[in-house]
Amino acid sequence: MAKYAMVIDLQRCTGCGGCILACKNENNLSEGVSWSSKIAWTEGTFPDVRYTYITTLCNHCENAPCVKGCPTSAMHKTEDGVTNHDPDKCIGCRYCMTGCPYGVINFNWEDAHAGWQEQEALIADVTAAPAEMVQQVGGTSIPYYNPALEETYEGVRPRGVVEKCNFCNHRLENGQLPYCVESCPSNARAFGDLDDPNSDVSKLLAKFRSFRLREHLGTEPKVFYVREFTPGTNVASKGGV
Amino acid sequence: MKNQAVRDDVKDVEDHSAISRRSFLKLMSATGGATFALAGTPKLSIFDFAKTAAAKTNSKGEWLPTTCQGCTSWCSKQVYVVDGRAIKVRGNSNSKVNGIASCPKAHLSLQQVYDPDRLKTPMKRTNPNKGRDEDPQFVPITWDEALETVADKIMELRDNNETHKYMLMRGRYSYMRDIIYDRMTKIIGSPNNISHSAICAEAEKFGPYYTEGEWTYRQYDIENTNYILLWGADPLSANRQVSYYLSAWGDALDNAKSAVIDPRFSATASKSDEWLPVKPGEDGALAVAMAHVILTEGLWYKPFVGDFVDGENRFFANGMVNPGTFEEKYTSGLVKWWNIELRDKTPEWAEAKTGLSAEQIRRVAIAFATAAPHAISWVGGGPVMQPRGSYASMAAHALNGLVGSVDNVGGTLKANKEYTQSFPGSDDFMDDIAKEGKSHKKIDHRGRKEFPTLTKGKSGGGVVTNNAADGIINEDPNEIKVAIGYMNNFAFSAPQSARWFEALAKIPFLVHITTNASEFSWFSDIILPSTHHMFEKYGYVKAHGNGYRHVTMNLPVIEPVWDVYTDETEIPYLLAGKLAERGFTNLLDHYQTYVDPETGAAPANEAEFALYALKHATHKLWDPAKYQAGDKFSGWEEFKAAGVWNSAPYPFKKRWGKMKTATGMFEFYSETLKAALEGHAEKHETDVDDILETCNYQARGEMAFVPHYEEPLVHGEENEFPLTFVDYKSRLNREGRSANCTWYQELRDLDPGDEAWDDVAKFNPIDAKKFGIETGDKIKLVSTTGTIECTAKLWEGVRPGTVAKAYGQGHWAYGRVASKEFGKSARGGNNNELLPADYDRLSGSSAFYGFARVKVEKV
Repeated sequence: MAKYAMVIDLQRCTGCGGCILACKNENNLSEGVSWSSKIAWTEGTFPDVRYTYITTLCNHCENAPCVKGCPTSAMHKTEDGVTNHDPDKCIGCRYCMTGCPYGVINFNWEDAHAGWQEQEALIADVTAAPAEMVQQVGGTSIPYYNPALEETYEGVRPRGVVEKCNFCNHRLENGQLPYCVESCPSNARAFGDLDDPNSDVSKLLAKFRSFRLREHLGTEPKVFYVREFTPGTNVASKGGV
Repeated sequence: MKNQAVRDDVKDVEDHSAISRRSFLKLMSATGGATFALAGTPKLSIFDFAKTAAAKTNSKGEWLPTTCQGCTSWCSKQVYVVDGRAIKVRGNSNSKVNGIASCPKAHLSLQQVYDPDRLKTPMKRTNPNKGRDEDPQFVPITWDEALETVADKIMELRDNNETHKYMLMRGRYSYMRDIIYDRMTKIIGSPNNISHSAICAEAEKFGPYYTEGEWTYRQYDIENTNYILLWGADPLSANRQVSYYLSAWGDALDNAKSAVIDPRFSATASKSDEWLPVKPGEDGALAVAMAHVILTEGLWYKPFVGDFVDGENRFFANGMVNPGTFEEKYTSGLVKWWNIELRDKTPEWAEAKTGLSAEQIRRVAIAFATAAPHAISWVGGGPVMQPRGSYASMAAHALNGLVGSVDNVGGTLKANKEYTQSFPGSDDFMDDIAKEGKSHKKIDHRGRKEFPTLTKGKSGGGVVTNNAADGIINEDPNEIKVAIGYMNNFAFSAPQSARWFEALAKIPFLVHITTNASEFSWFSDIILPSTHHMFEKYGYVKAHGNGYRHVTMNLPVIEPVWDVYTDETEIPYLLAGKLAERGFTNLLDHYQTYVDPETGAAPANEAEFALYALKHATHKLWDPAKYQAGDKFSGWEEFKAAGVWNSAPYPFKKRWGKMKTATGMFEFYSETLKAALEGHAEKHETDVDDILETCNYQARGEMAFVPHYEEPLVHGEENEFPLTFVDYKSRLNREGRSANCTWYQELRDLDPGDEAWDDVAKFNPIDAKKFGIETGDKIKLVSTTGTIECTAKLWEGVRPGTVAKAYGQGHWAYGRVASKEFGKSARGGNNNELLPADYDRLSGSSAFYGFARVKVEKV
């Protein structure tokens, strides 16, 4: 039994969105669905401008409002503290989305990868219809379909249910890191067990002052942030506290 | 709403930090763009993440090496292949340049190789009329029909002794390029192989060449530097070594301060200490003013530059200095530079030019030089890909000479040595027709009086890519009858693109080798579908960064999705076969000399040819008997499995005093440029001043040979065109080729200020108010040469008086996502339809930045 958490180092984060793309790739996410996302904004007045980028994902809260609000236990906590979701039990009521203070749960309004089911080619007999391409390549629903998900979850989720980050459950089962952690080109993410003082996350939290999103709500998020995105504008955090 | 709550919450956290966000902004205002010194912060040990680069993914597949050419970083990659399908991409841990780091746009390659709009088969147009509004009415044809038609057209030229009317246009390439670009063009018998280099960033190489003798892109040792001064460069988004810099930037900031000079607040500016929103085209003024400050403050790096004989600084504003009083070490012409250009270029002078405060200019210059020699002046495309940009390139790069960071730890470095070899020569296969044809002048006018293109010191040494359109239209020096383009899209990627519409429509027989039916294809007669460079092709490229150079291979990690062949190897080989069938065997005979280095066997087919050519080119890297330096392999199979060879580590300071300049020194007074300009003038029987006047430069006399300020040459009068257009590259651009990927469109808002599924022109609210523009308005931008439509957005990250928009959107062809309606209307606007065709004539570069004025109209 572990107490899984993620630590995101905002000084290392470059706002590149590699995590978002890697997550969409790894988890076969449909267009418009992002388990890993961001909130970014510009403030100030020319020339005193600052751009802030906060990468977001399911916070895997200890006191998860989405779990409490789920009438069917589709949304549930695992013994490792991960907030998981069972699409078979999901009735699509979206109470979890209402309850989540972070807006990181997606609802599938359409069939997965609807665009890839189209039958029309751009240039007749010269290019392929999207569905033909999928068939030609032998993928399931998309040509670059990742079958690894099926080991613990559904490869793609049906219309009418919610979906969100599960810390790459299928990878954790195999002793691998969540794909966003592995893929981040800026090395901004760490993942591990909070109960293990030697884990990357424990070491980082010992080294740097951290914060979590909307901490005052008492949700006890398991995603921690350290340092700042724009280090130069904050002397105290540059190089760490 | 929840996003707003999270934002507020993050702001709360910031407000409780040692210096609050509000006081930061207040401080910024007080100092007019502030800097925050942080003395004595210890470098923290890098916390280690347990990355699983070496671990195997559980599902049944394998990671196979290849190379990404989405941008010119040219990272070594690994692709995860399951049941013959490519499903994931990551950095190749065998590379010492990029390692496991892999930028966001690399993922988009999956949506390119599996793009449903890729061509499955060759096709031809059935509508003989060519034009932007003429539907080509493409129909599929067989490879035999396609190649036989091309071969017939080439034979016609040969039969009529007019092979010089054949042209090959090269866009993005691997180093297999010479097979189709050089050898094939020569053996057919034409001088007209035209590369895209001058719409890339040749002017960036001009400064380094005419100061330190290296016509090359630099690498920057950011892990060991204390100051990074970026001139229009945005390495966290685009070019070069984006993956590497993404991986190193955060920790580099522990030690280094960074300052970004750019009229637009870039992604790198968002991760920097300071933003200097210079007026477009005025970078040269800023650079010479910084040089002035560095000298008057006595901050030049004396172990590199030398010093006054008596140690007393004689650089005072406006004063002349006696050259005899200064003894240089590894540089040449410092005092001349001062006397000719720098002495009156005070920060106060530059303030009026640049729109930056003299205080900020002085402060940044001092901070930069105080970090000497571990201080980087990083010259990007923005300040130099402008008319007259060559001198800004020299001026900004010369700062590296002043602080001694050239070839130094924490400084600016050239490329390490590598040991690939050329393909067999073509001389023996050029018959009399070919030799006569080759002797004609080139279609791009390089080397003419008005186009010196002084690449590597030689008049006409480089290409003037975009002027080839005018050459074709005006049949100057001759008409082009048969042309082939590959992995290019000049009808989209070259400024004033409409000229290319006309030029391409005029060519009687045009062939395009491409993955997608693009704007260039629209005017073509035959379109040949090519493999995707990253997943289906044999090739190799060379790139440098992180103190190393790697040679990384494009390898076929999957079977080609459709019946397609490789542009640079297989297609020329197949075409050579068709030419041989028609009695012209020279090209095939030449290609038969590309033997397998292991067995000596000649290629029996196009696939073997591609493989043998690659093994030949990389022979010294993988054959232990031919080992030179860097990584050592037991043979081809081991090299192929690694996918990449790494050079020896960078040899710092080895070039001090031994640079490839006329003096051997780092030249502040460029004897090297003097010789090149005089050579060009002599060729045209005139003097250097006349050349400079012809080419629209302001320098006369000795000024021509030193880095100096030139006023921007701008198209459009301010009263009619009130805003200066600022073009930049999206961080998801795979050059111009990713707009048909839904991931690109969904995440276009990863560029600060940009919006998903849109193409926004960003206005400062001050200007927006003036022109009655609001966010979301559909607008037209109108320049002196073109008009595009896009969406307006108000944003504080653009300098008043400018409007900024990313390049990448505006495809009216390419695919179902990229265009609004294929062949008819574009999604957003193509910046190149707005930009006039003008040049930095000394380098041949097309101008992209700081030179085009526009007006805005609501649609």
